[in-house]
Amino acid sequence: MKEIYIIIINLLVLNCVSAQGKFLTKDGYVSFFSHSVVEDIKADNNQVLSIVDSDTGEIAIQLLMRSFMFKKALMQEHFNENYVESYKYPKATFTGKIMKFNELDELKGETEIVGTLNVHGRDKEISTKVNVEIIKDEIILKGDFSVEVADFDIKIPAIVENNIAKTIKVNFELRHKPYK
Amino acid sequence: MSGKRFNIILSLFLLVIIGLVFSIIYYNKPHANIEKSKPDYSLTAQQLIEEYKEQGIEAEKKYSERIIEVQGQIHKISTIKGNSVITLKSSDSDSSVMCHFLPEENTNVLKLKNGQVVKVKGKCTGYLLDVIMVRCILVE
Repeated sequence: MKEIYIIIINLLVLNCVSAQGKFLTKDGYVSFFSHSVVEDIKADNNQVLSIVDSDTGEIAIQLLMRSFMFKKALMQEHFNENYVESYKYPKATFTGKIMKFNELDELKGETEIVGTLNVHGRDKEISTKVNVEIIKDEIILKGDFSVEVADFDIKIPAIVENNIAKTIKVNFELRHKPYK
Repeated sequence: MSGKRFNIILSLFLLVIIGLVFSIIYYNKPHANIEKSKPDYSLTAQQLIEEYKEQGIEAEKKYSERIIEVQGQIHKISTIKGNSVITLKSSDSDSSVMCHFLPEENTNVLKLKNGQVVKVKGKCTGYLLDVIMVRCILVE
């Protein structure tokens, strides 16, 4: 009888472990910020899709460029139509890995996230610090990094050159829930 | 002679002012008013999802950045940063239409229940796992 209990308990524990698997969010947050002498520009995206494989620490993020909301409608229009050409490249993606993910069990920690960012159809290797929080059934990733506009072949017309920073700061906050 | 000169300077000055006013208005032009805009397309959640799944880039060209009206059954109501999100599910697909509402719609959305059929108007931004709509309002 005792053995049966042990087997059942073992099975339950094993089930929990395998249930870890994939974590997902469909309403992650990504924003970017450009500071220049002329003006500050900020845009928020609250519809970011992100999937984390908690066994390996692999991560895949996708977002729609058109989901970036600007304060000024004109900026949003220029951003989509002229700069990032959303009709040709509707998505930005990131695929990579959260380093030392398995050592970060059930606690707050800082680690590195390494991978490829694709914006405007161009790839760029990125590595940045990330704050990882693992609470029961949630994996929270927070952080920021900087990207160069020129790395993504985004052309800014000379007339507004001074309005847009060469280096853009990107913020992210992704709260993943278990994927059923 | 000096009167003529004065007139020229005055009219130039006025032109500059008018130009300035127009460019400021243009620069500050507001986001499209969803409530007052006529939708470019009106369809069911199921039709919209199918078109995005089957036609990909064609659907992207047709619907993205447009104001559309979508009818569907509520699968889930949630909030994100104080704003309501309604998920409209299609019966034969894993995908759904995720409608992110304008803050002023919160009280109306909270009166709704899962399973109810609603019509939502908003701006379509594209398709990831689901079709995404932003700045939504309830039509009925």
